[in-house]
Amino acid sequence: MLRSVLTLAALAAPLSAAAADTGSLLRFITCPVYRDADSGKKSGCWLAEDPATGIRYDVSLSPHKPDWNYAVLVEGRTTAQPETPCGAPVLDAVRTSRLYDIPCTRHILPAEGYPGRRFVLPRRNPQPTSVPAPSFAGPFVDRSFTVYFEFGNDFLVYQYSDWLIQQAYYWMLSAKPKKLIITGFAASAPETVSGRVMAEPADLALQRAQTVATTMARLLPGIAIETRADPSTTGTSDAEADGIPGQAQRRVEIRAVL
Amino acid sequence: MSVSGFRMAAMVAPALGALAMGAGAIAAQGGAPDTWWYPGSGKTFAASQDYPNAQGTLRVQVEGGAVKTRGHAFFEPLGANGRACVTCHQPADAMSLSAATAQQRWTASNGHDPLFAAIDGSNCPILPQDQRASHSLLLERGLFRVQLPWPMTAWNGRPVTPDFDIEVVRDPNGCNSAPGYGPKAGNISVYRRPRPVANMKYLLAVGFVFDPKQGFALPLSPEDGRMMSGNIMADNRAGTLRIQMQDAAHGHLQAGKPLTDAQVRQITDFEMRVFTAQQTDAHGNDLSSMGANGGPNHLRVSAPGALGAIGTPVWSEFAAWEKLSPEQAATLTPKQLEFRKSVARGARVFREKMFLITDSAGINSRIGFGNPVRNSCVFCHNMSQMGNDVAPGQVDLGTTTMPFADSMPDLPLFRITCRGRPHPHYGRVIYTMDPGFAMTSGKCADVGKITLQSMRGLSARAPFFSNGLARDLRGIVDYYDRRYSIGYTEQEKQDLVNLMSVL
Repeated sequence: MLRSVLTLAALAAPLSAAAADTGSLLRFITCPVYRDADSGKKSGCWLAEDPATGIRYDVSLSPHKPDWNYAVLVEGRTTAQPETPCGAPVLDAVRTSRLYDIPCTRHILPAEGYPGRRFVLPRRNPQPTSVPAPSFAGPFVDRSFTVYFEFGNDFLVYQYSDWLIQQAYYWMLSAKPKKLIITGFAASAPETVSGRVMAEPADLALQRAQTVATTMARLLPGIAIETRADPSTTGTSDAEADGIPGQAQRRVEIRAVL
Repeated sequence: MSVSGFRMAAMVAPALGALAMGAGAIAAQGGAPDTWWYPGSGKTFAASQDYPNAQGTLRVQVEGGAVKTRGHAFFEPLGANGRACVTCHQPADAMSLSAATAQQRWTASNGHDPLFAAIDGSNCPILPQDQRASHSLLLERGLFRVQLPWPMTAWNGRPVTPDFDIEVVRDPNGCNSAPGYGPKAGNISVYRRPRPVANMKYLLAVGFVFDPKQGFALPLSPEDGRMMSGNIMADNRAGTLRIQMQDAAHGHLQAGKPLTDAQVRQITDFEMRVFTAQQTDAHGNDLSSMGANGGPNHLRVSAPGALGAIGTPVWSEFAAWEKLSPEQAATLTPKQLEFRKSVARGARVFREKMFLITDSAGINSRIGFGNPVRNSCVFCHNMSQMGNDVAPGQVDLGTTTMPFADSMPDLPLFRITCRGRPHPHYGRVIYTMDPGFAMTSGKCADVGKITLQSMRGLSARAPFFSNGLARDLRGIVDYYDRRYSIGYTEQEKQDLVNLMSVL
């Protein structure tokens, strides 16, 4: 009963000020809160309050979810999506990067009638080995692929970075490049977010390149690989960064040379 | 007991064993049938063998027919202590070894069986080997000592510089602090269960090219260039069967020289052909009857590496028992009928009972599922037919590491201090009885991570988890229930136990 009432109330409520201003880019640091919604596997909600406005957002659509023991850097765009899944205005696209040097008090909210989101396979879902790799028709020319990372991290994001690499790998199986030039980037230019100066270490650029190089060497044994680093905080207009400038900076570019 | 003493026992035992097996129905002490495979017995390994256990009957099948074991590298003693591979990978124990079997062997051999070799079948070689108490970890928990180099080496033999320090906090057996033992002497001893060498095509299967838990594509075998699943050993220190065999030949059989290529091929061929699973339940029911697909034959003929979530659901082998027809039900006793329904319910609980998984490296970090994340047993145990992980890798359930592990005062305790970034869930200082995968990777973030266990033939090889923490199937369920505050009902617990008893 309570659930029904809450759901109806949420549907009837006017969109919050934040949600009405759709498409705005938000960037803040906060401690995440987990809402224990249950619509099956992976259906819990992640909420994050912008300290500047006091608005708690639904950041559950981030490909890399928070850890309730640590703060997150939230980067996302406001939407007009209904608040019904988790009881908060939805950021989409959104990224949450775990900040392991900022501990948080873990907090869990009950579902309070909110259903969360039933899990569906994301578009960026790596294919199992049982699925034949697609073939691409030539002629081929040199081509670049981009892989993205969390803030401060060189770990391949599940169902995001790995999918991007797999798309590159599939193309390379057909194009058969002679060499890969793998360039890592880092967002090393300091920026103040929620009162904290944020900058990635410059050497993260090379670490990211080496991470991707290790994976590409395993996927394409014997291929020549050159790694480079560019810690100068540059972006890309690639659509797979989902229009989030910070995400576009934290990347590795794989240049396939034929 | 000296090494030569063990050799003598090894020479006598096969002869006795051959006589006993030749007599047909054999009784060991206690009246149980003598199912022990002696090294070098020379018997033929039948294409299909049934072994009774408390939950019914385990069946072992060999694809391609019977195997002559005389001169076979898996069955012949290859080293100084008189053991063969089969010593610790017994068919009746689903190609592993139960603590109960170890106890039977102790009684039957007065502790002289090569199984109890000082090198690892004893709590520590420095202890008096003729005393039962010196072998308590094997007898009570089914654990063998595994001595690992410190600092460690990777699966390819390359030295690894760890990002953590290790100190010995507790050493009840001496093998981490006595002269020649322990980190100061360049080694660390942990105690682990032997993993079953059966159904290997599933354990070697690669369902995805990425190891999402480590954030890389899977490493390549130095032998054939194929991707390695990482499912062979608890700490993934051996990526291929060849590496594992050489490790075992040196560390467990005390072989004086590496296995030859021919021996490696022979053992590999055998291990890839062996399948095992429970075939009948405690009520005498055939587990492949009335629409069910229990038993090893289904394992043998099925393709490995399929993700249950997008194909054949995990443990749907018993789905037909959810809706038995009145005619079928009428042929069963009430107990038999209820057991079958319970097994089918257990499969659903396994797949569908959601709970919050928290603070488990390999699930909640560094991979981005979130901490916590809501899911069920099948989140990790996701491969059709087998229940291991299609996207392989190591996970920390806390079974070896404080505060999650149960008290096990007979095991050593180590203090790990992370030199760089603290562990995301344990912090900078970690207390563990077995660092697990960290002893291979050298990474503090991997402390406590253990390769997922194989779930077939469970009724034949208690206790469970890598350190024998769970004495029986109920112990597995209870551990998970405590660890993740799942809140299973008593019925759900029993259903899960019944399910696992027929796998």
